[in-house]
Amino acid sequence: MKKIKAGRQPNRSLAGDIGVGIILIIFGCFFAFPLVYVINSAFKPLDELFVYPPKLFVRNPTTKNISDMFLLMNKQGVITFTRYAFNSLFITAVGTAGHILIASMAAYVLAKYRFPGSGPFFKMVTVALMFTGYVLAIPNYLIMSKIGLVDTYLALIIPAFASPMGLFLMKQFMESSIPDVLIEAAKIDGAKEGKIFFTIVMPLVKPAILTLMIFSIQSLWNNIGTTYIYSEELKTLPFALRTLAAGGVARTGVSSASTLFMMILPVVCFIFSQSNIVETMASSGIKE
Amino acid sequence: MAKAKRKSMAKGNAKAGYLFITPFIIGFLLFLVVPLVQSLRMSFCEVAATNGQGLKYKWVFLDKYKEVFFKDPDYVPRLLDNLKNMALFVPGILVFSFFMAILLNQEFAGRAFVRAVFFLPVILSSGIMVSIESNNSLMGSMQSAIKEDTSLTSITKTLENILLTGEKASKFFEYVINLVDKVYDIANSSGIQIIIFLSGLQTISPSMYEAAKIEGCTAWENFWKITLPMISSLILVNVIYTIVDYCTKSNNQVMDLINDKLFKNVDYGLCAAMSWVYFGVIMVILGILAFIISRWVYYYD
Repeated sequence: MKKIKAGRQPNRSLAGDIGVGIILIIFGCFFAFPLVYVINSAFKPLDELFVYPPKLFVRNPTTKNISDMFLLMNKQGVITFTRYAFNSLFITAVGTAGHILIASMAAYVLAKYRFPGSGPFFKMVTVALMFTGYVLAIPNYLIMSKIGLVDTYLALIIPAFASPMGLFLMKQFMESSIPDVLIEAAKIDGAKEGKIFFTIVMPLVKPAILTLMIFSIQSLWNNIGTTYIYSEELKTLPFALRTLAAGGVARTGVSSASTLFMMILPVVCFIFSQSNIVETMASSGIKE
Repeated sequence: MAKAKRKSMAKGNAKAGYLFITPFIIGFLLFLVVPLVQSLRMSFCEVAATNGQGLKYKWVFLDKYKEVFFKDPDYVPRLLDNLKNMALFVPGILVFSFFMAILLNQEFAGRAFVRAVFFLPVILSSGIMVSIESNNSLMGSMQSAIKEDTSLTSITKTLENILLTGEKASKFFEYVINLVDKVYDIANSSGIQIIIFLSGLQTISPSMYEAAKIEGCTAWENFWKITLPMISSLILVNVIYTIVDYCTKSNNQVMDLINDKLFKNVDYGLCAAMSWVYFGVIMVILGILAFIISRWVYYYD
């Protein structure tokens, strides 16, 4: 950080500062708008939700939406709210951890070594990025049922391991942010590949790991997952909330409350990792 | 330099290397390559679900593709429309995110907070939100009412009419106005791109700017001679990412159509053919763009 500060002395005029400030504020509002809207609608009473034209801010905040959500949730069936939440948390945690580990191991090899077929393999991964359409759902289901994973947590967790996005991002970051010299130095000092990977490479790409973590949490946490899972006690939280929200116009309040509820985990994770994601990507610890 | 330094796997710790990459390859083969091949096969077949015996395939060769191009009334227009929008969107997102990354790389009070705000859409663009909002039919009709209502009185519309009826340059104005209309969408889908550019900007060594300063370069020259070349490899990454992201969004027109066909008509063969055509078109575009841009990318090593 210090290095960067020293290199870029702000040489803007006051007018320039104000201009930059204004642009940032305008676009910042764009970016923050959905969050503000979702938070506010979760606390709006039903009549305010249907005010036309819609208001951004809530007038008479109420917690009725949220209490309704929990009430309906516990009334609906034998499966309790905590069970759904546990299912989603478990899938998200295991899937994310596995995805990060497997993707970074593969990315490390692809970024720092060459072996027969590494080039075409990475091209294939990039191509596969394109093909996450619905069409894969059917063949995927056939495979799942063949290896007997249908109606288990693993049916949602294992495909996350092989998502090409992680490999793509990690490889790009590793190529640019880990100097080959560092790995060579470690080798000369007698470190084995495993040790190099866990004690040198992984700490250095921490920002990339956290970025990937956010992605992965986001997609797994929101996974409705009804394609592979039939048993009610294994179903996920988004599925449960969606069922509630689909109950018609009267459930609009509940639906906005559950939107807010689903947002909590990703936002909290983001707040904890935020400083690492967007600050100091460049700290390789090598003087060139 | 970097290439010479890389050792081949045989010389290095080959066993460990293969061990590292094997889990990913297995998953990749099982959950992406195999389904891909299977869907390619489906696209040449009439697929029917039979009772208790799984799926039945009947080889029809190119029939499904013919149906995609010549019979289906929606597919080709939607595909073209999608490409047109993409041509509008992708440069917009790239320029916007590059611009924002440069701003966010400056020193100012509360920088960490502002950066966090700009990353928000990435977290919020979750499937559940979209589905909940669109599930609610009343909300939907309200939205369209608002759209009609505001478009009548908006300033951009008036300005648009004035500019478009004017000069020969109307094509250009049309493009700009389209961009302005979509500025909210553009801003909301450029979170990742901003982060990628930002991380790239931070890897540029400050000593380069220092040297340039001593040589008497202006900030303008710095931008074109240092910042842009140093970040050019990330531009390629971002182009690919943006196109992929745009084309695989769940509310994409073409994806919508395929989804519709899958769940309403249950015609797997047709869906597979549609996806492969879509996929092929995007791949060709990506290939051409990657080829052009990589000619121009500057590698520091």
